[in-house]
Amino acid sequence: MGLIKKLPVYSEKIPGGAIVTTSLESVLHFAQAKSLWYLLFGTACCAIELMCTGASRYDFDRLGMMFRASPRQSDLIIAAGTITKKMAPRLRRLYDQMAEPRYVIAMGGCTIKGGPFYYDSYAVEKGIDHIVPVDIYIPGCPPRPESLMEGCLHLSEKIRRQKLLDWQEK
Amino acid sequence: MMGEIRTQEFIVNMGPHHPSTHGVCRLMLTMDGEKVMKVEPYIGYLHRALEKICENRTYHQCIPILDRFEYVTAMSCNYTFALAAEKLAQIEVPERAEYLRVIMLELNRIASHLIFFGTTAMDLGALTPFLYALREREYIMDLFEMTCGQRLTYNYIRIGGVAKDIPAEFVPQCREAIKIIGKKVPEYEGLLNENPIWKARTIGVGVLPPELAVAYAASGPILRASGVKYDLRRDDPYSIYDKFEFDIPTRPNGDVFDRYILRLEEIKQSIRIIGQALEGLPEGDIKAKVPLKFKPPAGEVYSRIENSRGELGVYILSDGTDKPVRVKTRGGSYNHLQLIPEIGTDCLIADLVAIFASFDVIMPEVDR
Amino acid sequence: MTTEQLKDYIASRFPVMMTLLETGRREPMYEVKAGQLLEVCRALRDDETLKFNYLCNIGAVDTQERLEIVYSIASVPNRLRLDFKVVLPREGASIESVQEIWPAANWYEREMWELYGVDVKAHDNLKRFLLPDDWDKGHPMRKDWDDPDFVRFPEIE
Repeated sequence: MGLIKKLPVYSEKIPGGAIVTTSLESVLHFAQAKSLWYLLFGTACCAIELMCTGASRYDFDRLGMMFRASPRQSDLIIAAGTITKKMAPRLRRLYDQMAEPRYVIAMGGCTIKGGPFYYDSYAVEKGIDHIVPVDIYIPGCPPRPESLMEGCLHLSEKIRRQKLLDWQEK
Repeated sequence: MMGEIRTQEFIVNMGPHHPSTHGVCRLMLTMDGEKVMKVEPYIGYLHRALEKICENRTYHQCIPILDRFEYVTAMSCNYTFALAAEKLAQIEVPERAEYLRVIMLELNRIASHLIFFGTTAMDLGALTPFLYALREREYIMDLFEMTCGQRLTYNYIRIGGVAKDIPAEFVPQCREAIKIIGKKVPEYEGLLNENPIWKARTIGVGVLPPELAVAYAASGPILRASGVKYDLRRDDPYSIYDKFEFDIPTRPNGDVFDRYILRLEEIKQSIRIIGQALEGLPEGDIKAKVPLKFKPPAGEVYSRIENSRGELGVYILSDGTDKPVRVKTRGGSYNHLQLIPEIGTDCLIADLVAIFASFDVIMPEVDR
Repeated sequence: MTTEQLKDYIASRFPVMMTLLETGRREPMYEVKAGQLLEVCRALRDDETLKFNYLCNIGAVDTQERLEIVYSIASVPNRLRLDFKVVLPREGASIESVQEIWPAANWYEREMWELYGVDVKAHDNLKRFLLPDDWDKGHPMRKDWDDPDFVRFPEIE
């Protein structure tokens, strides 16, 4: 039954229509995975590729992803660009301001392990995963828009596989 | 009986994460209602110690690091560093390489001005120009991608020439791209030039008098929009710009509107230069012989070029080894941000956003 | 005015105060004594034939024996450019601010105060701005600066 792709449903015809039964969990996570609103958080080079992904050719909106300027309205923070030691507390604070459930994508080499600034730099945070928990890492300097989109699709897959009880434990 | 209504100044923290500060700049605003009484920029949220890194790298290894210094026009960072190193070691660059460099620099200038056009309009509340400008920018990204494989950080212009030759389909595709962009610029003008909201928000806002601009070493479009005709492509010539015919547009008023118009004019001039360069592109070598262990003689040099944000300078001090003793970079935005406290006071907070956007500040150039 | 003419003019106008250096073979580089800095800068800006009214760059250099402050200036009306430097001792380096001559110097001087530890006299706003607010590890751009967190680039043959 392909009512909505990959959504486990049971349907039964009744006069004048059908009854559809499915689990709350799958509907909830389906909805979540298809409308990830991301926080407009760009610090360096990757921010330009994030802009390109949001604009005409790559069109992020078709994945249900729209940018928000406020952390309170967003589900996802795409850390696009180098995070320095001075910026790290601000990133943590933005993350804390977001509502649960929240996800983090580390975009580009800098956010994974310092990237080209790993050696000889006194100011760059070597990886953001000891500031905020990261769900998806996207390598590249900067990653192409296609790989950013693939990362986001992986994230939606990950959300669809979640269990409701996972949240409570978090 | 109503008592006297008392007001109080308050402090607003704009940034470091704020959509209109183009990255991570923090402005501390002292406000009286909607009016900005005092602005104080706080920078350093993207200080990545590029200069320190360059001191421990060989000359060839510095070029990809400096790509990240000004990523919107990374070609010009490559070029400035290569120019300084070539001056130190007195390397003659083949003519074909110089033509390719000029084509890339000007394409990059157009791409950067398109970003400016899109983001400025978006900051002032118009989303359509952003989508239009980034649509046309992709033509240029395609050209860069087929030449050097990267969309943003190119590492293409090397010491002594360029990394590799252009593929055969570059020239026709480049002609096509500049033709399309040339047609689209009047369309952009049609979107905003006569738009009453746009005019109300930009004309007469953030006026920068020419004396102040020179005193604070403003450069590039900001300086020329204040009526000072100073373009390093003409006034401190480098590469082969003396072979091409192009105008240097200036504007009289120095407000946000003039800075916007000037950049669109510059796109048209860049298209003219690229057309001439494609016409005259000679055959020949693309790189002078530069050893992998490049050791320029001891000496020091400051080279500067005109990029889309003004004067981009690189100072190199060499002691004869394969690593520079000091690399100091200078970006236009560093000086432009200093101007914000000068002209950003006594205006509304919405005007401050317009002024900031019109300076086209890019933070890594400030923080390095 | 060509570079040669500029060199000749500087030699006649500032015979004692500005000396041409050996490292300036490619582009002229002069040395100015720290005590005469303000006097020379003012003269360079106000001289009718030079009119150096535009400050391109100020950069500090640590050569491990001494600190050098390199000034790159330009003239907008006369289309000229010039470099000169001031040599300072590594310990207790201190220099006059050139802000009153070129206001653009403000942030450049603040930066060298912060990253190199050069004390700038008569500067109106010496506050930390590039490094984190709670930074207490010294001046990181100095060559001998080190920190446990600081990883050096490995030497590759």
